[in-house]
Amino acid sequence: MRVSTSWMQQQSVNTMMERQGDLSDIQTQMGTGKRINQPSDDPVGAARAVELTHLDADTAQYQRNITSANARLGLEDQTLSSVSNVLDRIRTLTLEGMNGTQTDESRSDIAAEMVQLRSQLMGIANSKDSQGDYIFAGNRTGAAPFVSQAGGVSYVGDEGQRMVAAGPGLQVATGDPGSTIFMDVPTGNGTFVVGATAGNTGTAVAGATSVTDASAWDGGTYQISFTAPDAYEVRDSGGTLVASGAYDTQKGGMVAFNGVQVALSGAPATGDSFTVAPSSTQSVFATMDAIIASFTQTNSGGTDAQNALNGQLANLDQSIGSLTRARAAVGARMNALDQQQALNDDLTLQYKTALSDVQDLNYYDAVSKLSLQSSALQAAQQTFSKLQNLSLFNYIK
Amino acid sequence: MADLLSTGVSGLLAAQVGLSTTGHNVSNANTDGYSRQQVSFAARAPQAQGQYYVGTGVDTQAVQRAYSQYLNTALWSASSSKGRADAYQALTDQLNNQLSGSSNLQASLDTFFGAVQDMANAPADASARGVLLARAGALASTFRALSGQFGSLDGQVQRQLTDTVASINSDSAAIAKLNERIRSSTGTQPSDLLDQRDALIKKLSGEVGISVATQNDGTLSVFVGNGQALVSGTQSYELGTAPNAYDATRLEVVDKGTGAVLSGRIGGGTLGALLDFRGNVLDPAQNQLGRAALAMADAFNAQHAQGVDLNGQLGGDFFTVAGPAVQAASGNTGSATLSAGIADLGALGSQDYTLSFDGTAWNLRDGSGAAVAMSGTGTAADPFLAGGLSFVVGGGAASAGDSFRIQPTRNAAGSIAVAITDPNKIAAAVPLLGSAASANTGTGAVGALTVADGTDPNLFTASSIVFSSPTTYSIDGGAAQTFTAGTPIVHNGWSLTLDGAPSAGDTFGVKANANARGDNANALKLGAVANLGVLDGGATSVGRAYGQLVGQVGSAGSLADDAAKTQTAVYNQAMASQQSVSGVNMDEEAANLVRFQQAYQASAQIITAANTVFNALLGAFK
Repeated sequence: MRVSTSWMQQQSVNTMMERQGDLSDIQTQMGTGKRINQPSDDPVGAARAVELTHLDADTAQYQRNITSANARLGLEDQTLSSVSNVLDRIRTLTLEGMNGTQTDESRSDIAAEMVQLRSQLMGIANSKDSQGDYIFAGNRTGAAPFVSQAGGVSYVGDEGQRMVAAGPGLQVATGDPGSTIFMDVPTGNGTFVVGATAGNTGTAVAGATSVTDASAWDGGTYQISFTAPDAYEVRDSGGTLVASGAYDTQKGGMVAFNGVQVALSGAPATGDSFTVAPSSTQSVFATMDAIIASFTQTNSGGTDAQNALNGQLANLDQSIGSLTRARAAVGARMNALDQQQALNDDLTLQYKTALSDVQDLNYYDAVSKLSLQSSALQAAQQTFSKLQNLSLFNYIK
Repeated sequence: MADLLSTGVSGLLAAQVGLSTTGHNVSNANTDGYSRQQVSFAARAPQAQGQYYVGTGVDTQAVQRAYSQYLNTALWSASSSKGRADAYQALTDQLNNQLSGSSNLQASLDTFFGAVQDMANAPADASARGVLLARAGALASTFRALSGQFGSLDGQVQRQLTDTVASINSDSAAIAKLNERIRSSTGTQPSDLLDQRDALIKKLSGEVGISVATQNDGTLSVFVGNGQALVSGTQSYELGTAPNAYDATRLEVVDKGTGAVLSGRIGGGTLGALLDFRGNVLDPAQNQLGRAALAMADAFNAQHAQGVDLNGQLGGDFFTVAGPAVQAASGNTGSATLSAGIADLGALGSQDYTLSFDGTAWNLRDGSGAAVAMSGTGTAADPFLAGGLSFVVGGGAASAGDSFRIQPTRNAAGSIAVAITDPNKIAAAVPLLGSAASANTGTGAVGALTVADGTDPNLFTASSIVFSSPTTYSIDGGAAQTFTAGTPIVHNGWSLTLDGAPSAGDTFGVKANANARGDNANALKLGAVANLGVLDGGATSVGRAYGQLVGQVGSAGSLADDAAKTQTAVYNQAMASQQSVSGVNMDEEAANLVRFQQAYQASAQIITAANTVFNALLGAFK
């Protein structure tokens, strides 16, 4: 085949330019460390890289959210721990005050400390976080949620619970409304409340209560009346006789009916009565107010006061229980966040690995390609210069 | 006896022509389009000498170019394909560069939605809100920057279009002139003129796909597209550019004489590449980007409208974005107007439409010209619906042949902006709270509670829904209404869906979520918009739409790279074949030089011999 001299030279030049282009590509790849430097390098890979970068960024955001949620929950836990200390102290003081050796004066002293504790509790319940938001206000974080008014403390927050996105599809609450912790505390044993009817003349005091058969308890209101110092009967709100029996303190003074039982102690008088009513709710502040009121009244060691204090003690225990549950829930959430954080860490690693697989350069490959391509360029250059000397004209003299 | 002297002279002359031709070949070895020339010799008619003939020397028959019509035609075709592939590759390469550049949309999206989540973590925090607005601004500007880059590439295509058309016109004119000179030339063919013409045709074929026909008078006719003549004999016809019928800022290639639009019929060459790139890569990319912007703005705005801001007001538009663009054809004679809107984001595609009136009915066609079915009657009350769009025909009467072009997403990315400047106006909280009364005995629970009509003045008025039976309820003591499970209860501008089954006597309340500065429920939903499927019937999120764009542009680029490589190889092959016939080989010329030199010297010797013989004869008489 005839070869056109100028086209042959042009071809050599083209080859060199192509080799240089290849080298420049490799150079870019080595410089950036990336195999894909523009979408056309690998369209599928480039689109995949976009998605993986997004997933990675998403996960990083979830981790940030978890950090912020942990801070909020940590603060809540710390605050609840202070509340717990206050309530424990109140319980201790209440038991102390109920001791028969106390006098009106000493009970009044206890009451004075309790007033301090109550205001301390108010302060804690109205505490703020670092952003100035009230922790226990639900979503109404702009105003103090607990307000002292005539007749007690009222809650002006709402029931909102702020959530945080901790992972795809996982939202975790980062707070509890103050109403569930401080306000809506069940009274009595959580199922029913026993109260002494005002004007009882005996010394009978209602003590421990329990539900023995939840299915038999109908949530009604009942009256336990003593027809004699050693006999009682239980009637429902319609006056129908539900149960009756003998009252014997030797056997624990137990009155049982409809799946519940009430332990009574002391000596009732004929005609004394106790009411069993379904549990309602009462705020921890109201409980404290009632205890303080009991301790500050005269003859606060009497049977009426005993009965009242026993009732409030049960309410206080409910408050402590409610607090414990809230702290357990906070712990459970932090635990869930920790688990999600670990999961997110795994995901991040996976995304980063996948992203690296997709777009990062394999330097071993690249370096060997670089040396291969530089040799190719050298070969092209040498071929060119060798061919230039090969001309018949050089031999015609 | 034959004349030895004139025989020698004839050889001398022939060798001179040979030497000249060789010299011409060597001199033109690097001339583009030059075809090597060859001298052909023939023995002169012999003189009869009785019973035999004696040769009388050599005649130079012709100097002809080494030429193959077949190989040249193949080269022109390869040149056209290569011209197209090279231009296409250069353009897609630029587009790819832009997408790999600094304005990475996905990163902006991630940063923006990150700021939304950060605000959800601290909904009343002024700095978190401020950061969110700043990020939103950055996201909008990234959309606009990308759109702007696409736009500047479009401008570049326009300029190249004009330049290429001008170059085509000058080449056509030059070919017509050469046709004239070639036709009027006498004797053997004027090789150098033919070469010049071939070179011009090769150049022209690199600029636009052409077909060539040889006429009997030696002229060549050149056609473009479907038989549109560029050159016919000694006459050339110009192409021109004219504004698009719908969009005056966009140039189309037209026949300058008749004004007929040729854009759709031109393939091959740089011009074909420009038109193809604009129509099949750049416009779809701009549309796809716009679709992502529109989806982003619409989905975010819709969720934002479901919340209340720190002032207790319902969330207004967070982003502003341009809706579908409607352009009336410049030739419309009727007075009908058209407005278009987005009816269903999930059904919205990324292509353009043309709505035309045939005298009795309106017909919708997509970008490829295929008919698209519409529902509705085109009135404001019952608009035409198709492809996620709604069209309302207004104004006066339309004339047959009137048409409008609709570009649903073209302008969205370039126009997106943040609508609010006050951080307090970010609606992070939900506006309404739904509750079930604690005494309820049924399993009914508050499901979705959304704002159906934000303009209702009673939206924030507390209401209670009382069920008188499991299937009947009344609101605020109003008339009894029938409850169907799963069907929302709509009142005072809100819409409430109950899960489960309510019982008789159950009560549900709806009231304003007052003073809830700490509520982040709507902010969380705003954050979830990032991964929410809003396009393609809910299958594609905004981010994924961008991923699709990257894949789309990348594929176009990678295909263009491959095509450019392939076409270069094809071109090189065609060139090598053509050059093997027409190219100058220096070694061959060197050999020819030696050959003709020797022939010259030998002929000179013959003259010497003739002289010697003559002298010998003269000497005999001394």
